[in-house]
Amino acid sequence: MFSRKKENIKIIAIALIFFIIGILIGYYAILQQTTYVLPKKIGEIKIGVMLPLSGELGPIGSKMLNGAILAAKIINDTGGINGNYIKIIAEDTLALPEKAIEAAKKLIEIEGVKVIIGPATSTEVLAISKYVNDREVVLISMSATAAKISELGNDYVFRVIASDAMQTQAIASIIKEKGYKKIVTFVVANDYGIGLEEGLKKLIGERIALSIRYDPAKGDYRTELIQVASINPDAIFYALWVESGKIVFKQALDMGLEKIPTLGGEGMADVAFFEDEKAAEYILRSGLMGTKPSSPKGTLGYNIFYEEYKKYFKEEPGLFCDYTYDATMLAILSIAKASAYNGYEIKKALELFSKYYVGATGHKAFDENGDIILVDYEIWKVSKINGKYSFETIGSWNIVQGLTMKKE
Amino acid sequence: MDLASINFLQIFLNGLITGSIYFLAALGLSLTYSLLNFPNISHAEFLAFGAYAAYISLEIIENNFFLAIMVAFILTGLLGILSYLIVFKPLSKRGVASMHLTIASLGYGLFLRYSIYQIFGREALTYKIWFEAFNIGPIRVTSLWILIILTSLILVFLLHLFLKKTLIGKAMRALSNNQILAMICGIDKEKILLLVWFIGAGLAGIGGVFRAGDTRITPILGWDLMISIFAIIILGGIKNPYSIIASAYIIGLIENFSIILLTILNLSTEYKAIIAFIILIVIILLKPYGLFTKIEK
Repeated sequence: MFSRKKENIKIIAIALIFFIIGILIGYYAILQQTTYVLPKKIGEIKIGVMLPLSGELGPIGSKMLNGAILAAKIINDTGGINGNYIKIIAEDTLALPEKAIEAAKKLIEIEGVKVIIGPATSTEVLAISKYVNDREVVLISMSATAAKISELGNDYVFRVIASDAMQTQAIASIIKEKGYKKIVTFVVANDYGIGLEEGLKKLIGERIALSIRYDPAKGDYRTELIQVASINPDAIFYALWVESGKIVFKQALDMGLEKIPTLGGEGMADVAFFEDEKAAEYILRSGLMGTKPSSPKGTLGYNIFYEEYKKYFKEEPGLFCDYTYDATMLAILSIAKASAYNGYEIKKALELFSKYYVGATGHKAFDENGDIILVDYEIWKVSKINGKYSFETIGSWNIVQGLTMKKE
Repeated sequence: MDLASINFLQIFLNGLITGSIYFLAALGLSLTYSLLNFPNISHAEFLAFGAYAAYISLEIIENNFFLAIMVAFILTGLLGILSYLIVFKPLSKRGVASMHLTIASLGYGLFLRYSIYQIFGREALTYKIWFEAFNIGPIRVTSLWILIILTSLILVFLLHLFLKKTLIGKAMRALSNNQILAMICGIDKEKILLLVWFIGAGLAGIGGVFRAGDTRITPILGWDLMISIFAIIILGGIKNPYSIIASAYIIGLIENFSIILLTILNLSTEYKAIIAFIILIVIILLKPYGLFTKIEK
């Protein structure tokens, strides 16, 4: 009897210890909660931000949040909007669509925000776009590029980064310029790859002889490449992920495909491809060229952002910090223009205001789908100088001027 | 897509390359499976271990690929023995069921894989060695592919001699057939087991080097192949090394030909696993003991 009692006490003690540990962890978590309160004077204007603040993309997401905080700080330091201060409320989405839905609900139903900056990935935006649209909450994503987002026709969804649909236009114009009549597309089987493949099919479907969607986990692609060889195309368009892409390129050289010219999308301008000697040689010999949005570093808009960012955060801005900054600044200015905290008014103001806003990442005029109209693309090519591979700019493309190639 | 224009000879060659790697990977697993009666999930990590062992060898002595293969074979073989002595022998001595051994091997495999992650990082590596590519008639080959196919064929032949002609080989077959009877006849089970672990893991190590040379070096290199390897073992029947060889090449060929089919249907090649599974299900339904196993009545 005695020993059982002792046992019971032991169990209760253990339970208590865990209970206390649990409370401590919970308390710590509350302390860590990602609400950034900026100095409050009279009233406050809430802006929701949805980003991956932890998990695999956590390091990038936390830096992107700095971009939003910077925009709010610049406005608050100069007196806010009519004395009302901007308050950034950040929610962690872990870049997962189900978390994004939770975060959006919390921001809209509990915090009552009318503007959300983010989420970062296309899958998340697709998951919540109908929800925010039905509630007339303005959403501005800083980094979701999938073409599918514009097709949904949700009036309240905007993005300050170019849609992949725009990029396919740039690629299609290169294909036309070069006079390639028979193209094979070789893309990774996910939103990114299939999005580009379908985009190209819409524009120049008659020229695409074969489309291959490859499994990035498969590891070897010899048989896929044989099919490419059997078509004997004028050019191959690649949209690969780096890891698997290195193998595709290496085996393409093994299969002797280097005589067929190659084209690539934005993700292909990555120095990581040069780590594999054979992959690098294939890229060089096949004359891989492609498009990527040109980052307008050195413009006045970017310099202002860059100086302020370094002054405040004492570090270099990370990936998409500038886009997050622009999205937040546009939201703040639109709220000021709307002079009411109301989703419909803010949306109207945003549509109007965007035409006159040139930010860190360039001119942000929106079209009727909420996509930016003017995107400058760089046309790049790989070259080898003194044994080192690098990307050089050989031309540019935008929807107004079309394709301009540098004189060779 | 015009079927007639496809170079089927080349696809057949691809099937042989894939099959050769599968054979090297699957054989050790089937050997230990038949002797200890559990699937050693950590076998996948032996492939990755071999790939990294060869990588280190190539970093120290450059351009000597044969040496790297030997290093991978011996070091991975020793790792196999070590794994048996540290993990699986103590467990089987305590008389645990095969389920426990399987779970233990799963955990041990994770331990191995993440140890590799810790040491070499998550970035994929490549061997700094250039395999020349050239044409033989209508087929395109590289020196690595020829090496993969030839090495595997030689190993198949050596394995055949070993199993049929040597005393140890015969003892091994006896043990795999009927353990109690074999032990009564005076076969030293422990000695045979150590040898089996060495050969099985060592071959997986070579398989890992070939796979890594053909693709890239990463800690999940072996794990990626596990579904196919299990398919081969089920197809071949666990206890017969000869049918493992045959089914490795069959699965290798089927996988490569199914890619053509998937592309014609404009589907992602991710679905090739489905085709392998369908074949597997059909075989389990029709011939549950493997394609080549005769059930004696």
